[in-house]
Amino acid sequence: MESDRNSQPDLLQADGIRKHFGGVAALRAVHFALRTGEVHALIGENGAGKSTLAKILAGAVRPDSGTIAIDGHPAAIGTPLDAQRLGIGIIYQELDLFPSLTIGENMAIGNLGLREGSLVRSARLAAFCRPYLEQAGLHCSLQEPLGTLPIGKRQLLAVARALSMNARILLMDEPTSSLSGDAVERLFSLIRALRDRGVAIVYVSHKIDEIFRVCDRATVLRDGETIGTVEIAGTTSAEIIRLMVGRDLRMTVRPDRRTMGDVVLSVEGLTTHKLKSISFELRRGEVLGVAGLVGAGRSELGAALFGLDPIRSGVLRRAGVPIAPRSPGEAMRHGIGLTPEDRRDEGLMMSMSVLENGTLTVLPSMQRWGFLRGSREKSALAKVTDRIALHCPSTDAAVETLSGGNQQKVLLARWLLLDPEVLFLDDPTRGIDVGAKQDIYRAIDDLAATGKGVILVSSELPELLRCCDRILVLRDGQVAAVYDAAEATQEKIMAAATSAFGDRA
Amino acid sequence: MMGLLRRAQSVVALLGILILAAIVSPTASDGARIFLEAGNLTDILRQISLIGIISLAMTFVILTGGIDLSVGSILALSTTLVAMGLTRAWQGASYSSHILWAILAAVAASTLAGALNGVVIASLRIQPFVVTLASMIGVRGLAKWLSRNENIDIGFGRDVAARFAEIFREKAIVIGSYVGAAALFWVLLSRTVFGRHVRAIGDNEKAAEYTGLPILATRIWVYSLSGLLSGFAGVLYAAENHQGNPNAGVAYELDAIAAVVIGGTRLSGGKGSISGTIVGTLIMGVLTNMLRLNNVDSNVEMMIKAVIIVLAVAVQRAE
Repeated sequence: MESDRNSQPDLLQADGIRKHFGGVAALRAVHFALRTGEVHALIGENGAGKSTLAKILAGAVRPDSGTIAIDGHPAAIGTPLDAQRLGIGIIYQELDLFPSLTIGENMAIGNLGLREGSLVRSARLAAFCRPYLEQAGLHCSLQEPLGTLPIGKRQLLAVARALSMNARILLMDEPTSSLSGDAVERLFSLIRALRDRGVAIVYVSHKIDEIFRVCDRATVLRDGETIGTVEIAGTTSAEIIRLMVGRDLRMTVRPDRRTMGDVVLSVEGLTTHKLKSISFELRRGEVLGVAGLVGAGRSELGAALFGLDPIRSGVLRRAGVPIAPRSPGEAMRHGIGLTPEDRRDEGLMMSMSVLENGTLTVLPSMQRWGFLRGSREKSALAKVTDRIALHCPSTDAAVETLSGGNQQKVLLARWLLLDPEVLFLDDPTRGIDVGAKQDIYRAIDDLAATGKGVILVSSELPELLRCCDRILVLRDGQVAAVYDAAEATQEKIMAAATSAFGDRA
Repeated sequence: MMGLLRRAQSVVALLGILILAAIVSPTASDGARIFLEAGNLTDILRQISLIGIISLAMTFVILTGGIDLSVGSILALSTTLVAMGLTRAWQGASYSSHILWAILAAVAASTLAGALNGVVIASLRIQPFVVTLASMIGVRGLAKWLSRNENIDIGFGRDVAARFAEIFREKAIVIGSYVGAAALFWVLLSRTVFGRHVRAIGDNEKAAEYTGLPILATRIWVYSLSGLLSGFAGVLYAAENHQGNPNAGVAYELDAIAAVVIGGTRLSGGKGSISGTIVGTLIMGVLTNMLRLNNVDSNVEMMIKAVIIVLAVAVQRAE
């Protein structure tokens, strides 16, 4: 696949890059080569390691091992300042700018290109900034606070800032994730102009249509490994999707098709700040999968059902009765539960014990005469921990001492104890080991078998195919497709999620 | 197990200071060590009782990730109100009902001030530091305005106020109040739904929201309790000092926070215990007593305390 017909030497070459976060391997032996004056896509599913690699090249993350060479010379990129000296600039998905500082200050801060001493004078600053702002196509006052600029223009400012640092290599991490249509066009024409001037651009994305519009080559990552590098001109979107998802299905078999009951939750025209007119029905005993890229509105669907995001229009019905939960507490009273995507930040009390975390939703029923009964809590929790094979040294152990898989099980236990009729599981197996995943799949099977309605969000398509009866594919806050599990394939889902093939089912 | 070790560690520190205090203690004419005399030991307990009581509720506040800077001012308001109540003539009322109502009024007003802190913090989502800083200033102003900037003397005659002071400056009453409040708050934190919610909110507010916990109500309760205990401490202060004093309790918030922090409670919330705070209060009290028995300059005393605070937290960090 790698074509060496081009005799131009590589501007940047990374070999054997490895990186572990805790016990999880984010990158294992990644290779990546970048040429002068090309736009090179770094593409892969969520969690494939794209952003980690970009951060390593930008000096924001240090690799465990591996070598990086620039112009054929070994380069040590230990800090973002090292990267700046080497001519590497990065534009993060969450822009690393300061909204309350002015545009000029944002350009100047941490900028080695601006040799000013410790005093910044506005005339010198203006002279310094002007050419780069013009290159980026930005016409604005340097005195304005950055916060007054729309997000699309902030993106352009981030590019101008990187240019003013004399970047020869520009890394862009999902640059279009929060841009509107015409802002995307402006960004693309800027990218093409920079390429023509000899800047090498690494374009991190999982949007296949964008790759075909703006990139020259693409390196595909999957599960932290380099799968291959292809010339965009000589490939098809089907080929790239195959490279992105083409892993073996090594899953336990899902149980026989379940018998489904009444509609336990129906959603009609649900619209929030992120969702546009979502409709579906969930039946007792059904597992409904939700697929889609990050930012497609998967978590926002949960937020709307669980009373976290205000509902702008649309009707929710629980067992036929219209409901409008305005807080998680209200949603819980309507029999809806949710395990959040980010178990550390949104789910668990890390310094509290397994027991205290597990019983948090059912505390009122654990008291006698106003006092909590430890024995009652322990026996209640024991019933569900057996079902999900939660392993911990003691239920008094702090949750932060457990492995990721067992942490997730504690979170699940909390909701199994409350036993809601509808449970929304937001990417429950993210970053946990294979064994724990199987335990969670079994818990999902059990929930469905006992007549609960389960909504399962996942970034792993094989997981959705293993667990779900139907799969809802979201794209840009809308339902892009709905598949029966029997007819769904990874390729179909990925195509619907990225719109590479339109809505063809 | 880890928690037990950590608690044991601060107990060890307390024992160390106790032994040190006994060794360096001056001796009376009969050769007995003054530090170890029953009278001195109970004096220590009496001296720490006010800060001790305030720091119990401060532990709850800090566990939710908050802070209450207004406790000293609320204490001053309470001393003023109880003295005003007692010095007001009330025809036909028995001494006991007069005393009871004066105390109730002062404590109720203090609780209300705390509740107001809680309502503003929880519903307007302003940082607790800012809100309680404001009420620290405002409540102090209220106490001074009510008393027209003067101390209200009580308990120097044969009237109801004297009876009040006589009862509530009794060592057994003061120490008993602290012990009782400590037991109550220990149970509240470790054995009730409310206590569990307090720690859960402080550990991870976002997760508490995702679990449907009553965040708003819990916060309001926590600051109300802080007002209540500060008010009660104010009642004891008035009896002890024979006056309602609108300038009382200055910097008490800092002593209370110090006791909580030395006791191992995390300032960002979620982690900590009442028993730790009690040990922290004792460490500060014994230290003060030891230094004063040895006639150490009170300014030097402050410097030593500063070192102890940083040391205590550094040791817990190392764990």
